[in-house]
Amino acid sequence: MALIGFLILFPLLVAGVLLLVGNETARRVIVCSSAVIIGFGSVWLVLANLGTPWVGIEFSSGAIDIVCTLIGLVIAAVILCFGVKYKNVLACVLAVVQVVGSLVFDVFVAHGIEVQYGLYLDSLTLVTTFIIGVVGSGICIYALGYMEDFQAHEPADAKDRRPKFFALMFLFLSAMYVIVFSNNLLWMFTGWEITTVCSFLLIGYTKTPEAINNAFRQIIMNLAGGIGFLVALFAIALTMDTLSLVEFIAVGVMAPALVALPAVALAFAGITKAAQMPFHTWLLGAMVAPTPTSALLHSSTMVKAGVFLLIKLSPIFLVCPVAAVMTILVGGLTFLLCSFMAISQTNAKRVLAYSTIANLGLIVACAGVGTPEAVWAATFLVLFHAVAKSLLFLCVGTAEHHIGSRDIEDMDLMFERMPRLARFMMAGIMIMFVAPFGMLIAKWGTLVSFADTGNVALILILGFGSAATFLFWAKWLGKLSGIAAHPLNVETTVHRSEWIALMVMAVLSMLCCVGLPVLSTFLVEPYIFDVFGVCSQGVSQANLWVAALLSAVVFVVLFGGLGSKQVKQVPVYLAGVSENNANRTFRNSLSGETMATSRNWYMEGVFGEPKITPVGVWATSIIIVVGFCAAIATLCGLL
Amino acid sequence: MYLIPIIVGTIAFAVLAPVVGCLLAGLDRKLSARMQGRVGPPILQPYYDVRKLLEKDRAAVNNVEGTYITCALVFAILAGGIFFGGGNLLLSVFVLTLSSLFFILAAYCTRSPYSEVGAAREALQIMAEEPMSLFIAVAFFLATGSFDSCAAFGLEIPAIGATWIAFLGFLFILTIKMRKSPFDLSYSHHAHQELVKGVTTEMSGRTLAKVEVMHWCENVLALGWIGLFFVWGNPVSLVVAVVAALAAFFLEILIDNNFARVKWQLMLKSAWAVALVAGGINIAVLMYL
Repeated sequence: MALIGFLILFPLLVAGVLLLVGNETARRVIVCSSAVIIGFGSVWLVLANLGTPWVGIEFSSGAIDIVCTLIGLVIAAVILCFGVKYKNVLACVLAVVQVVGSLVFDVFVAHGIEVQYGLYLDSLTLVTTFIIGVVGSGICIYALGYMEDFQAHEPADAKDRRPKFFALMFLFLSAMYVIVFSNNLLWMFTGWEITTVCSFLLIGYTKTPEAINNAFRQIIMNLAGGIGFLVALFAIALTMDTLSLVEFIAVGVMAPALVALPAVALAFAGITKAAQMPFHTWLLGAMVAPTPTSALLHSSTMVKAGVFLLIKLSPIFLVCPVAAVMTILVGGLTFLLCSFMAISQTNAKRVLAYSTIANLGLIVACAGVGTPEAVWAATFLVLFHAVAKSLLFLCVGTAEHHIGSRDIEDMDLMFERMPRLARFMMAGIMIMFVAPFGMLIAKWGTLVSFADTGNVALILILGFGSAATFLFWAKWLGKLSGIAAHPLNVETTVHRSEWIALMVMAVLSMLCCVGLPVLSTFLVEPYIFDVFGVCSQGVSQANLWVAALLSAVVFVVLFGGLGSKQVKQVPVYLAGVSENNANRTFRNSLSGETMATSRNWYMEGVFGEPKITPVGVWATSIIIVVGFCAAIATLCGLL
Repeated sequence: MYLIPIIVGTIAFAVLAPVVGCLLAGLDRKLSARMQGRVGPPILQPYYDVRKLLEKDRAAVNNVEGTYITCALVFAILAGGIFFGGGNLLLSVFVLTLSSLFFILAAYCTRSPYSEVGAAREALQIMAEEPMSLFIAVAFFLATGSFDSCAAFGLEIPAIGATWIAFLGFLFILTIKMRKSPFDLSYSHHAHQELVKGVTTEMSGRTLAKVEVMHWCENVLALGWIGLFFVWGNPVSLVVAVVAALAAFFLEILIDNNFARVKWQLMLKSAWAVALVAGGINIAVLMYL
């Protein structure tokens, strides 16, 4: 299993090298080649272990435990340093609590506990490895061109912090690999904290007051989550005398009452990391960062770590009602309310952010339900969300640099000359919300699993949430739909590295849609069988093939047929005497000229943030508090 | 094996649904005229209209609109094929949504102000009716144990017995699905309450003909849903189902002629309230009682 070690250590090495390299050409070569190596390494690992059951790797080392402790200290030092510099008391306090807590844990509690299988591999890990290795490193390549433009847009005397930026990106990938491969919860926790601090530094990259502010919001919320993780570690080590994830899950399935507290605490950690309400504001705030950061946080790392942990815990949720109810309700409400709020947004990145939070909510709810069908659906939601969302972020980032706006209303006329980019964006959007593409097929599986398990509330939430999803994507897609009619192309100013990354994401998302039945059989089903001992999926294989076939047809139409036919063109109807049809001006009742304009609906009055956010924040906060109280009560009752 | 009935169903639906839908549209116009004290056009008038549209010159505001509409028509027929071929009800609902999406895109891509208003309203109509469409499928699943429409033929008593609350909710959104007043926000055939011609403002000739045919197919599929709840293991039930569907159709025409178009707020809120109450109660009853 040298490959696992390689995947963890290689990005770390690259990060170290990139930190020292200031030369643009050298960085280009290093980033491209190492991204390709990481991508191939990940794909190789997936292919070599296709359909694998849980495989533990005997590996334990006191030295690594000490390194973990040291990393914890460094992280705390970094946060304290920034906290003092920008006078943020809360962040300092939380960092101190966490570092003291983890020191106590490392020295007094974890000391005598040895985890035989430090690392492991199963099919869910493979799915996540694929996402990190291919989508994550694709975003790194994209960042090369993007950051060059970004630096060009900065004031001339601005300091070039790109070495740090790229180093953080690769460090992030390494930390994600640590999270997905570690069976030792202490190591996983270290990876967890590294991702937190990496995203803190990436969000604050521009050092504007807004960026600093949002970075601190992120770190405070995720430190709270980290403390939740620490509580779980204490509870697991003290009550079960183990730090192995697989043993914890095995005990949890046998004795649900015993694991109620750690399960709730870990669920809390997952919920903060996956940006669920009431913690969703950190992901919205993360939008101030350069687009590759958003793409990385949203699609392949950070939030995916949160849902990865929750999906891992789903066998416990199946038998432990306290943790399950909390997870399901928080996830379900987040899905519903964030889908509503997405309708009222005009900023493309904010729509993407709300849609991410909503989709993660659905994944969290599925993990909470914990039946084989629900886990099947959750895994597919993770996969499709990763590929489609990264594609969309990269498209929006490129568009922003070329039309100078991230407002959806600006995406029709100014966008006109980027038909290829528009088609990529259309493909990404369609994959996100409509049948026969991946996300909706996963949602279909979700609906079936909710119907099977008798979850009325979740069925209702899914029904209304999906309807809202339809509206906000459809109106954005509508804005783009006319662009394909214009063959004129001035996309030549887009960097080649950006095109390559966009192509990779587009091809990847389409392959995933068309290869859905195959992915189900070889990647997702083995995990379900391994964990639950049954082969069960919400959507029958035959229907998956129908969906795959239809997706292929739509892709062919979108990239092949659309706009190729020549017809006699006539101007649009403007009801009245038009002055100039090309400019859409007509003569108004005062004999002046008026321009005909139209805007999409955003329905602020019904779905506006000020109306919905407080409801969601209060409801989910209460649910989490009640969850913790119930878990503590369960534990006390047991003792 | 599973695919063969769907393919057969799709071919049959592609041939029969336009014919049945055309006759229904003619009947609609005749009945509406009688309700308004007019004689009305011949029953085959919709057919003459479409035939004339097909003979028109090909002209459009851009070169993608026609492609979008063709996709919309094909997917509408496929949704019908899945439904009448005994396939999965949810798949049928989703494919029909895809068809509506292409219809909306066709209207958006013209960038005509009137057409865009129609497109936005059409999207809103989908959002208003979609929850109830899902809930009725879930209710059917809970009553029969299967999401496949062919499961209705294995029943002792028709599904309506256990799902009548959700069925009433579905009757409510049927008006939205068939784009009848008071919920004909996107595309009305009552000239006095339409903003130019809504979603079809920029469509003409062949494209408009395809829209008409798609609309017929959608109506047949919507009435098929009504019939589904009156089918059981006895062949006689097919007659009952057809009668029920025709009764629902007559009810829709009656409503259409007696109400004026409402604002979108009322449509959205009422449709969602009905879905929440009718769908929620029926599903809860089926699950827990």
